[in-house]
Amino acid sequence: MYRMRLPPWLLLLLPAFVILLAVVAIPLVLSFYSSFTAFQLTRPETITKWIGTFNYQKAMGDANFWAAFGRTVLLLTVALNLEMLLGLGLALMVAKVTRGQRLLRTMMMFPMMFSPILVGFQFKFIFNDNVGLLNNALQSLGLTDVAIPWLVDGSLAFFAIVFAEVWTSTSVFAILILAGLFAIPQDPVEAARVDGCTPWQTFRYVTLPFLMPFIYIAMAIRSLDVARAYDIVQVMTAGGPARRTELLWTLIGRTGYVDARMGYANAMGYIAILLSIVFTVYFFRKLTTARTSLGMGD
Amino acid sequence: MADVVLRDVVKNYGALPVVHAINLDIAHGEFVVLVGPSGCGKSTTLRMIAGLEAISGGTVRIGDRVVNDLPPRDRNISMVFQNYALYPHMSVRENLGFSLHIAKRPKAEIDKAVAEAAEILSLTPLLDRKPGQLSGGQRQRVAMGRAIVRHPDVFLFDEPLSNLDAKLRTQMRVEIKRLHQKVGTTIIYVTHDQIEAITLADRIVIMRDGHIVQIGTPLEVFERPVNAFVATFIGSPPMNLLPATVAGGALRLADGSTIPMPPGLSVRDGQAVHFGVRADNIMPEGHSMPPTAHMAHVEMPVTLTEPLGTETLLFATLAGTEVQAKMLNPRPVRTGEVLRFGIALDKCHLFDATTGASLRV
Amino acid sequence: MDQGQSHRIRRRLLALGHFIGLLLAMSLICLPGLWVVLNSFRPTVEIMAKPPVWIPSELNLDNYRAMFGGIGEGGVPVLTYFWNSLVISLTSTVIALLVGMAGGYAFARYRIPGKSAVFVGLMVTRAVPGVALSLPLFILYGRLGIIDTHFGMILVYVALNVPFTIWLIDGFFRQVPKELAEAAEIDGCTRWQAFWKVEFPVARAGIASAGIFAFLTSWNEYALASQLTRSLNSKTMPVGLMDFTSQFTLNWGGMCALAVLMIIPALVLTFLVQKHLIAGLTFGGVKG
Ligand SMILES: Nc1ncnc2c1ncn2[C@@H]1O[C@H](COP(=O)(O)OP(=O)(O)O)[C@@H](O)[C@H]1O
Ligand SMILES: [Mg+2]
Repeated sequence: MYRMRLPPWLLLLLPAFVILLAVVAIPLVLSFYSSFTAFQLTRPETITKWIGTFNYQKAMGDANFWAAFGRTVLLLTVALNLEMLLGLGLALMVAKVTRGQRLLRTMMMFPMMFSPILVGFQFKFIFNDNVGLLNNALQSLGLTDVAIPWLVDGSLAFFAIVFAEVWTSTSVFAILILAGLFAIPQDPVEAARVDGCTPWQTFRYVTLPFLMPFIYIAMAIRSLDVARAYDIVQVMTAGGPARRTELLWTLIGRTGYVDARMGYANAMGYIAILLSIVFTVYFFRKLTTARTSLGMGD
Repeated sequence: MADVVLRDVVKNYGALPVVHAINLDIAHGEFVVLVGPSGCGKSTTLRMIAGLEAISGGTVRIGDRVVNDLPPRDRNISMVFQNYALYPHMSVRENLGFSLHIAKRPKAEIDKAVAEAAEILSLTPLLDRKPGQLSGGQRQRVAMGRAIVRHPDVFLFDEPLSNLDAKLRTQMRVEIKRLHQKVGTTIIYVTHDQIEAITLADRIVIMRDGHIVQIGTPLEVFERPVNAFVATFIGSPPMNLLPATVAGGALRLADGSTIPMPPGLSVRDGQAVHFGVRADNIMPEGHSMPPTAHMAHVEMPVTLTEPLGTETLLFATLAGTEVQAKMLNPRPVRTGEVLRFGIALDKCHLFDATTGASLRV
Repeated sequence: MDQGQSHRIRRRLLALGHFIGLLLAMSLICLPGLWVVLNSFRPTVEIMAKPPVWIPSELNLDNYRAMFGGIGEGGVPVLTYFWNSLVISLTSTVIALLVGMAGGYAFARYRIPGKSAVFVGLMVTRAVPGVALSLPLFILYGRLGIIDTHFGMILVYVALNVPFTIWLIDGFFRQVPKELAEAAEIDGCTRWQAFWKVEFPVARAGIASAGIFAFLTSWNEYALASQLTRSLNSKTMPVGLMDFTSQFTLNWGGMCALAVLMIIPALVLTFLVQKHLIAGLTFGGVKG
């Protein structure tokens, strides 16, 4: 008797495909469709009102959208690079410790347990200009006697958001880089020392290239998780005041749910998705090259 | 115990053939070694016998069953892997008893079998360790123990000694041979090391590019290689090969000098050949075996010496080709010193220069 | 002599710098969190006081009492949220691990046509920001009637975590030599037995670390949960935090108490598998 048989790998991947299809792909198709309509959440019948690429054209010509777009790219670039540098420093310092390292490692991961929404509230309070911890401290120490408007002034607020982002996510970098440091084979490091390299040169030419794949993994993970920034920003400033910290995601959320203009929100969402995909694919590429050059590829 | 028969066995990876229709009859209780350069298809052949690779064509028979479509677990074989493949999360005891445990044998029986295997391989004091806490040689023994515990019909070994240092390798070689004498099971053993092949095998199967080149006892393949490849692959140092032309009942070397034709060969006048002589058959006068009926003599400058204790290996140049010769009862030799060597012609070989086939009759 | 001494001084200075740097970094990492914990024991009035009260006059459990006190006393149904969070996070983590194990195993062990394209395709689904997803999901779930259910949330979180678990677990299985499974098959196992008795236990540490990431993601997720949950049926703790806010006021002390309740399970879990986490990541992520 003849029986249709799927190749085993397809069978094994099938559950993943089905779930991702149901929860990600279908909604995306739906939102892709609705991005060509004048769909409004409050008036369901508008989903059939086909308006072509109007929403996209509108987004293209919308200064607010482009401001948010630029700010998002800026935030990603600044935050990812800072997290990488700080994570590297932190991992190097922790790796050097011999006693009590286990405790330090757990402490290092502390921010990972915090829900992004909680991080948002926490920093909203720390940076509050009136009763915030930071201003309180600065004033008590006599460093300033005015209330610094951390979350009100555009660039200060951007700084505050970057700070919160970096606080939560540096540990992702640190832990991955630490894992990398533990995995470094000692032979090349010792060979470099014998060859007369200074500690800095050893780090630069031996350790760092080896760590690069780990760094790219962290970058890839983080660029996948950029949407976390939504929670934090939503709570801290909600894109305000007066759109001065508006990011793509807060803009989309507000357009979709508050203004109920789903079609338009979805169109912007699609552009945001493309942005994430570009970032992610970029880091995956980097990761593959770094792996291959170290002979770890497959 | 069982015999193993391969009939026109083929393996293709996609469109790429890696084993070409090989035929092999392995008798019950025989120790057969598959040897050849790496990438020639030895492991693939072994894995087809084990059931780890699908067979693309032909049949494999173990005992009285054609096993082509049987999964490994139903073939009653056991296998020792190159990297041992010990289960890292189990103790030595659990590793040894795993196959019986899977077969749901009673605990008492498992314990007894494990104890027995551990005794044979002197693993008893290590039974409660994890593989990670063992040295390379000990791991190797556990891997062998795991294979013998279940009393299979056939043992398969895939380069089991290649990860050991030279001394342990020699030691384990002896142990494997002793094991075979003790249990008498059919063994198919893969290696790329011709010394291992010669010392262990009842019969050697020499493979190249997915073909079997020669099958024979160690002595047969050593003394009567069917072609230049086998001649240079088996034996250490490898057989010297000198390009030559058959000219009027003698061999003319590249520099125009001649040596008499060795006996027992079928050649045409003008045929391009390779003249093959092992280091054991070309020795300096006064430091050689007693001369045989057919001797030739050449003078060669020595370029390098490699003392091996009871003998010295001499590197010399003959007609522009480097030649290795042996010196018995060695005396110190200066570099550049010209010595007179005797060649035992009746031990020499001729191979066709284009096909490489032996011209011995 | 002189050189030796300057060397020694330099080493001391370096060690001191190392210590100070570490201290500074750890304080920055821990203080904001500890401040939340501290605030959970203080009345909101005192936290908000102007001028600031640096040394708490009293620490009490009022916030916790109010929180567990039930809705009647102005508290928040914390235990229900906790239960929802726990059920949703644990179930979705277990399912994501199972699906991830199947998928990761496929990537590690089989030749898949267009492997890297399939792989990046899977990962890209993770790159879809929650907000972009929550809009269409909201409509779809509304149609299916699974808004505000455990099932709906579990489904979303499984999808959210599957790409990442597949990626990590793929790396772990690649580290398990193929010969182990082959040896097991020769020892008499079926393919299925070989997996569960040999490959799975060997990769267990790595799988656990993938589990931690999945759990933390589900446990802390807000953007999707805030749209797809409505009531006590399925509201999770991150959404519950919003109960402490109203148009103009914010019960910060109460919120901190709930935050502590959220952090503790995550902390305990992470501490337990912390060692495996590093080991798992070392081989899982990169060598994949
Ligand atoms: N899975 C595979 N796919 C394609 N080619 C393979 C595969 N496994 C082995 N080969 C090729 O088959 C040939 C024989 O391999 P193998 O039997 O392992 O050689 P060896 O004699 O060294 O054991 C090699 O050229 C190898 O490149
Ligand atoms: Mg091989």
